[in-house]
Amino acid sequence: MLIVNDLHASYGGSLALQGVDFSLKPGAIKALMGRNGMGKTTLMRAIMGLVKIKSGTIRFQGKEIQSLRSHDIALRGIGYVPQGREIFGDFTVLENLRLPLMRRPRNQRNAPKEIFEYFPILAERMNQRAGTLSGGQQQMLAIARALAPNPSLLLLDEPSEGLQPSIVQEIVDILLAINRDTGLTILIVEQNISMVMDLAQTCEFMERGRIVGACPIEDIRADESIIAKHMSV
Amino acid sequence: MADLIIQLLNGLNYILILILVAMGLVIIFGLMKVINMAHGEFFLLGAYTVVLTDRLGLGFWVGLILAPIVVGLLGAVLELTLIRHLYKRFLDTILATWGVSIIIKQTIIIIFGPAGLMTQPPLPQLISFGSLEYPAYRLFIMAVSLSVIAVTFYVFYKTDLGLASRAVIANAPMASACGINTRRMYRITFTFGSALAGLAGATMAPLMSCDPQMGLGFFIPAFLAILVGGAGTLSGILAGGSVVGGSESFISAVYSPVTAQIVVFSIAIIIIRARPQGLLGGKGRG
Repeated sequence: MLIVNDLHASYGGSLALQGVDFSLKPGAIKALMGRNGMGKTTLMRAIMGLVKIKSGTIRFQGKEIQSLRSHDIALRGIGYVPQGREIFGDFTVLENLRLPLMRRPRNQRNAPKEIFEYFPILAERMNQRAGTLSGGQQQMLAIARALAPNPSLLLLDEPSEGLQPSIVQEIVDILLAINRDTGLTILIVEQNISMVMDLAQTCEFMERGRIVGACPIEDIRADESIIAKHMSV
Repeated sequence: MADLIIQLLNGLNYILILILVAMGLVIIFGLMKVINMAHGEFFLLGAYTVVLTDRLGLGFWVGLILAPIVVGLLGAVLELTLIRHLYKRFLDTILATWGVSIIIKQTIIIIFGPAGLMTQPPLPQLISFGSLEYPAYRLFIMAVSLSVIAVTFYVFYKTDLGLASRAVIANAPMASACGINTRRMYRITFTFGSALAGLAGATMAPLMSCDPQMGLGFFIPAFLAILVGGAGTLSGILAGGSVVGGSESFISAVYSPVTAQIVVFSIAIIIIRARPQGLLGGKGRG
């Protein structure tokens, strides 16, 4: 589904990705872990076309996408939930959900019903300004916005940041349900180990712009020191 | 009394045209962070489109319809060939569009000469309200600019195109990650903003003597109106345009245009000093 091959990219002058190789199977949920500044967010942004790529390829559903522009990548079926959510605070919930559907005919630009089935709180807040939602609701809106055009791959960057554990658990349950119902593939960058263990099937570790290791999530459950090895400063 | 009302109406006339010019500038700046120094010359080209159709015997009305189309197309060509290579290079866009403004001005001088040119008044009759008489054409200008301003606000705040453009203003990378073609939005915006200036120039042509420097006379107050009202907000322009246009036309009528310039600039300096974000400018306003 997604194959990243020897990807190099720079960000703010420094070379942030130095030959990243990894791949994702359809329907898989993979976590990407590593300390801050190791290139996880840059990798997400590179897949999304928001960072200039120096060399290497990104293949999505068999086609190279590394030279496409962001909106084309989004239209091919990749949904992006950035770090810090970046919802449009001045827009209502409905407007936020309408934005990714602009390419459709005028009468099909309302958020699909299923979105509100997974996120009932958003249905209650439809006409509220997104900036006035709580942090957890904003995160749900950011995920719903990414899912509205029905993508086949979802990129999640630090979705648990600043949220209390009960809400993180709620988001995990929703994501698992969507993955089970629709076969959505998920790539998640996350520091929250319990969220990763609840959600992901496999985990890869990033260090200094490269993938340096991978393991199934069961291994981490059995021995959490694997994570400490890659995450300790 | 009648004199005062006429002065007020003339002032309103000027305010509305100023808002039309400023709106084009501010939409382009808001979306693309480009200060279009050639905006006054787009106004100029709109006026000279009317001069040209007047000379060719096609009349004013053809010119009025042609002006926004011609200037809008020119804006589109400029965006494609020049501006689009300079995004994110703020100073370079100022220099480049300034260069364009000089080219346009000199081309007009080569074709039409440096002297002021008059056109036939399209609606010479006066409309009377009781004892008051007011030129029909000025009423027409007010109606046209009011409708164009209303339509612009409607498009910006009530349509999907407006929603997409406000998303690009708020967060361009995120908007593109939502599938919005930001480059296409830039092209549409630049074309539309240019067309607004062209239309404003065309409507003003019959009221004044058209000369190659006339663009500056609208560009500077429009720019001032944006700074006073608050850059980045459409409603700020209404306030800024009213303050700048209103005080300028009122003081010109009572004292002299020179005094008006001095007073308007002083007012602008005081407002900008006291409220650097402009009258209506604030954080997070679309």
